[in-house]
Amino acid sequence: MRLRSKLNFSVLSFLIIPIMIFWNPQFLSLMGVQPYWPLFWLLPWAIIYGPMNGLFSGIFLGLVLDALNNDYHSQIPGLVICGIWFGRLSVSRDSINKFKFGLLTSMGTLICGLVYFSQIILFSSNLKSFYLFSFAIKNIFSQVFLTGILAPIFCSWLFLLFDNRKLEVNKFRNPTST
Amino acid sequence: MLGKRRIYSERWWNKKKLWILLSFSIFLILVRISKGSFYRDIYYFLSTPFWPGQSQKEILLKSYEQELFATLSQLEKDNQRLRELLSLQRVSQEDKINASVISRQTGSWWRILILNKGSRDGVEIGDVVVGPGGLLGVIDNISFLTSSVKLITSTDSKLGVWTQRENIHGLLIGQGNDSPLLTFYLKEIDVKVGDFVFSSPASTLLPANLPIGIIETIDKESSPSVIASVKLLANPHAIDWVQILKMRI
Repeated sequence: MRLRSKLNFSVLSFLIIPIMIFWNPQFLSLMGVQPYWPLFWLLPWAIIYGPMNGLFSGIFLGLVLDALNNDYHSQIPGLVICGIWFGRLSVSRDSINKFKFGLLTSMGTLICGLVYFSQIILFSSNLKSFYLFSFAIKNIFSQVFLTGILAPIFCSWLFLLFDNRKLEVNKFRNPTST
Repeated sequence: MLGKRRIYSERWWNKKKLWILLSFSIFLILVRISKGSFYRDIYYFLSTPFWPGQSQKEILLKSYEQELFATLSQLEKDNQRLRELLSLQRVSQEDKINASVISRQTGSWWRILILNKGSRDGVEIGDVVVGPGGLLGVIDNISFLTSSVKLITSTDSKLGVWTQRENIHGLLIGQGNDSPLLTFYLKEIDVKVGDFVFSSPASTLLPANLPIGIIETIDKESSPSVIASVKLLANPHAIDWVQILKMRI
C-alpha cells in the first residue's frame, strides 16, 4: 500500500510539470521568463535511474511539452541531451550536493535554450534579425539564472523522494537483501 | 464794425449737433470697415452669462457619438456586404465570443494565451482574438473547454498588414519579443514613425482593418526592402479578457 502511494507520487510529479508551465507564477519569473520546469524533474530522475532512463524521460517530457506549445520547433533534442548527461552522473551521485543541483540545471537550461534557439535560426530563415538575438540572449540567461536559483529547492526534494522510492522498490522486490 | 463781427456761437465748429453727427458718421464707417467685429466682441461679453452650460455640451457630444456610431454601423454593414460579394473574410456581430485568459506565457520562447472557451463554445482553429487595443493573435489549438492563442509576437506568426496613411502593404513577422518586425515589399516607400498598422484587406487569415500597432522604428537602409519595428496596441502581458472573432469565408 505504501509502495503504491509513492509510485503515484512519481507519476504525479511528472504530470505536475505541464500544470506549472500553464500556471506560470509571476512571483517565480524574471523579466517575464519562467524557470525551465522540466529540468527540476529530469535531473534527480536521471541521476537516480541512469542514462537510459534519462534518455526516455527526456523524450517523454519533450513530447508532452511540444504538444502543449504546438510549436514547429522541438524541445526533445535539448531534453534528451540533458537526460543522458544527467544520467551519466549517476555513478558519482553521492558527491552531488545542493550547489551542484543549481549548477547542473543552469547548464542544462543553457543547453536546452541554445538547442531550441539554433532550431529557430536554422528553420526560420526570415528571423535572423538583431531583435531576435537580443531577445534570445535575454531569454536564455534569465532562464539559466532562475532555474539555477530554484533548483536546490525543487531538485533536492525530488531527489530524496525518488531515492527513497527506489530503495523501497528494491526492498519490495527483494525483501531478503540488506 | 462790432455789429458785423460774428458771435462766438455762430461758428460751425462750435455747433454741438454737427459734432454729434460727425462722430456718429465716423462710428458707422468704422463699423462698416470692421464688418461688425466690434459689435460681436461686445456681444461676447454681454452673452457670457447665458451661454449653454456643461449639460448642453454633454448632450451635443452624446448626439455626436451616436451619429458616429450610426455611421460606423452603416459602414460596417456596407463593408460586410461588399466582402460577402467578394467572398473575403468577414466577421459579424453574432460571431463574437468573450473569453478570459486562464494561462499566459508571454515572456519566454513560447508566446501563448490559454482561454476559457473551447470547441464546446464554438471556437475553431483560425479564429481571430482581439483585446482592448486591437489584434492579439490567432487560435491555433482547441480542446473541449479551452483554446490556445498563438500571439502575433510569436516567432511562428506571419500576417499580412498595411499602414493606414499610405496603404502600404507588408508582412508582420513575430520576433519572440514585444515588437514584431514589419517587412515591406518595396524599397522606395513613404512610411513614418507613428504610422498606424492595420490588418490587410488582402489577408486570407484575418478580417480587414483590425488595428494592430504603431510603427516604432524604421530601418530604410536594410536590403532588399524596408523593415520597421511595430509597437503593439494590445498588451498581451496584462490583458485578462479578450474577444474571439469567428471567421467566415
